[in-house]
Amino acid sequence: MQWTLQYKETWLHRLNPSFKLVFILALFLLLLFVHNPNFISNVTVVPFILVMFATGHRKKILAILMIPFLLLFFSSASSMMFFGQGTTTWWKWGIVHMTEESFFRGLHIGFRALNFALLGLLFALTTRPVFLFYSLIQQLKVPPRFAYSFMAAVRILPVMMEEFHQLRAALLIRGIKKKKGFARIMQSVSLYAVPLLSQSIRRAHRIAVAMEAKQFNNKERTYYYKQTLSRVDVYFLIYITIGFSLAYWVGTTFPYFDLTDVRN
Amino acid sequence: MKVGVSNLRVKYAGADTLLFNRLSLEIKEGEKVLFLGPSGCGKSTLLQILSGLIPHAVPVPMKADAKSIPTSSGVVFQDPDSQFCMPYVDEEMAFVLENRAVPQPEMEGLIRHYLEKVGLTFKDPHIEIGSLSQGMKQRLAIASMLALEPDVIFLDEPTALLDSAGTSDVWKTIKLMNAKQTMIIVEHKIDEVIDFVDRIVLFDSEGMMIADADPISVFSFYKHKMKEYGIWYPGVWDEHAKEKKLPAPYVKGKEILEINQLKGYRGKIPKIEVQHKTAHEGEWIVLTGKNGAGKTSFLLSLMNVMKTSGKKRVMNKELKTIKASREQLAFVFQNPEFQFVTNSVYDELAYSLEMMEDIGVEQKVHQWLENYDLKQVRTLHPYQLSTGQKRRLSVGTAMFGAQPILLLDEPTFGQDARNTFKLLALFEQLRENGMLILMVTHDEMIVRNYGTREWVIEEGKLTVDRDLRRREERQHHAVDFTV
Repeated sequence: MQWTLQYKETWLHRLNPSFKLVFILALFLLLLFVHNPNFISNVTVVPFILVMFATGHRKKILAILMIPFLLLFFSSASSMMFFGQGTTTWWKWGIVHMTEESFFRGLHIGFRALNFALLGLLFALTTRPVFLFYSLIQQLKVPPRFAYSFMAAVRILPVMMEEFHQLRAALLIRGIKKKKGFARIMQSVSLYAVPLLSQSIRRAHRIAVAMEAKQFNNKERTYYYKQTLSRVDVYFLIYITIGFSLAYWVGTTFPYFDLTDVRN
Repeated sequence: MKVGVSNLRVKYAGADTLLFNRLSLEIKEGEKVLFLGPSGCGKSTLLQILSGLIPHAVPVPMKADAKSIPTSSGVVFQDPDSQFCMPYVDEEMAFVLENRAVPQPEMEGLIRHYLEKVGLTFKDPHIEIGSLSQGMKQRLAIASMLALEPDVIFLDEPTALLDSAGTSDVWKTIKLMNAKQTMIIVEHKIDEVIDFVDRIVLFDSEGMMIADADPISVFSFYKHKMKEYGIWYPGVWDEHAKEKKLPAPYVKGKEILEINQLKGYRGKIPKIEVQHKTAHEGEWIVLTGKNGAGKTSFLLSLMNVMKTSGKKRVMNKELKTIKASREQLAFVFQNPEFQFVTNSVYDELAYSLEMMEDIGVEQKVHQWLENYDLKQVRTLHPYQLSTGQKRRLSVGTAMFGAQPILLLDEPTFGQDARNTFKLLALFEQLRENGMLILMVTHDEMIVRNYGTREWVIEEGKLTVDRDLRRREERQHHAVDFTV
């Protein structure tokens, strides 16, 4: 069965994975300290353009992947809007209390969540796990035994999915006395988790022995893929810097909202 | 180069007795040695000790007066899906080269070199391992083992999980290797290796060495022992067929299964298509064809587990739901563990009866425990059983009712001779009592000795319907019906 997505390789795939990881984590931190809704709403455009036009994935798949993120935007925004505190009441109904302050705060939180999601998606869609682990070893000095174990684990996932399908078919054929309520949840956990886990534990053990048999060790090793920093990393840095600066300039020069700090 | 141990003693956690008690063995350079023995006799353990994996990678308490372990050994294991840690062929090969600290610029050439040695020639070796056939995966495992440039090669049942085409490909590859290469082999498919090995070491079920000689001597003097232990040996099928007077007489009963324009889908893609077929009581239909041709999909469509179109009738009753199918068709899955839902053998057999609110559960279950030879393990958890017992239990759990049709998905796969014959005898008895059996198998001997009819499935279509009993009458050319 086909488990990997088809895509065209773009310049984003050629970024150094460790650089990409650290840089995106830094952007997450930066976004936590942004309190101006004008700025953050503009900033969203920056990762959005990259996700839509530079990840090399098909538009249809991207659109599907966007659905949960839009939900995330609305749910985090609305919960803040309806139940936040503030002085200028717009609307009150039962426990729902919407104020001007809470509205903007909600919008702000929504955009922040959307930014996190887009940056995360950008990373996930353009990074092959194998390159990430090679880069973690080479740039961030992660010990090879951890990195290779993770790569082996990634390989087990599709096998587990296949086993899940077989198990489901087997249980359907066998027929199950369905329990009710909470017991039903416990029942499915034990019906699915026990066989799948026992298979996976045995498989993991066998892979570990096979890796040792191939003389995997902690000694000096060479690397098939060399991960280095390159020009594209600089392009990425420039793009983000210009994008964020532009967003800030537009946000402060032509604000859509009077509010410039949602904390007040 | 010499491999060997003297006075070896091994103990597994929880076991009361030693697995090997003062075992001594010496293997000379260039020898090709086959370890034979009943399942659980410790031959794989010994192989792992000699290769140095025990106790280095797998901690098992062991002692030996002297050990000589090769400085570099290459091991091939049995499961094609748990030998690799990388997703692509070239990356997996590179993993071995990285371990050996081969400089990066040399890697690409070496990867091609070793892949060619096992007959895997790709235009670009950057291919997903998941897209290879099981036989190709095993050849890749051999290639990556060769990349270690090992002094001694260890093969731990390399073809146990392969179909016949994959098996012969793998052995062809192994036989192409350097004639001076020292090899230690555990393998059940004896016919493949008999003319290749120089020496056979035979173990009994306690791990005692009972024979150590050239193949001809071992097979002529210890055949009775092999039979007792359920080891496959050349000619075992002929003896079995003679003993049971196979193929057994067959009387065509009344028609019970009718299939019309059946299609089974995975998503929107049809995986199996059968135009029109009928089958009768007392028939044993073997379903053959390559891996992935749609044999299992065919059985799953009959069970309504896959989305289907068209009609399937059992005794003029149409099967529209899983429940309706379950009442007419007993299904034995490829992996028996997936069918177990309770914590003991007894409960497992009683489960479906209780679900139908049957009375006299206890009596029936006791009868079954007797029939399937599971009485002494009735309180154990199903996972604790041996592979043969697991298989028999899964047959038992499938046949809870009085279903007239039995569907089997490679039930004898990877079983030793004794378990295989025990299962086949069980199925044969059911068939004689009028059950219709549909069995997916790759085993040519089962097709020849037990099948009454063969359905060949190719690329998702049933293409050949062959009357096997008429083939026995040597009407080779008149047997295939039109489909």
